[in-house]
Amino acid sequence: MARNTRKPVIKKVKPVKRPVLENGINYKDTATLRKFISDRGKIRARRVTGVNVQEQRLIARAVKNAREMALLPYSGSGR
Amino acid sequence: MRQYELMIILDPEVDERTVAPSLDKFLSVITTGGGTVDKVDIWGKRRLAFEIAKRTEGIYAVVDLTATPELAKELDRQLGLNESVLRTKLIRPDAHRQPKRRAAAKAS
Repeated sequence: MARNTRKPVIKKVKPVKRPVLENGINYKDTATLRKFISDRGKIRARRVTGVNVQEQRLIARAVKNAREMALLPYSGSGR
Repeated sequence: MRQYELMIILDPEVDERTVAPSLDKFLSVITTGGGTVDKVDIWGKRRLAFEIAKRTEGIYAVVDLTATPELAKELDRQLGLNESVLRTKLIRPDAHRQPKRRAAAKAS
């Protein structure tokens, strides 16, 4: 008669502030894109930045295009 | 006819004064083929995020053009053959639409 005494685990959801992307996302705008990559150059997860799915896709594409043109580093390069 | 955006990285070794004329020479492929060159924006020398062909700098230029797909491809091919061009990127800016802000405002 083992009763389930464990409390249901309540997932804490940190409210992330949605960044405002007024001018849209463009691979040439490295200043904006830098907000969405980590120090190591990796693309930040959506749960970290709080953007929606559609925007995340655009960001990912823009970052990858910017990397090809040496505007942003590839992840890991640097050290 | 389609809108294209072409980004070019040129060798920093070439004289910056010769950049505009040499770009014009490349872009003559577009104008003679019936396309139009709408805007040429030369960014000038810029540090590369990583080395390309042992260069740490590059001369960036962005060209907006209207051309047929064949013409744009041909221009990209010719640029690739030139040794002073480190890298090119041909993009159709209207291919991937930005989402409308209205939907985003509802979510927040």
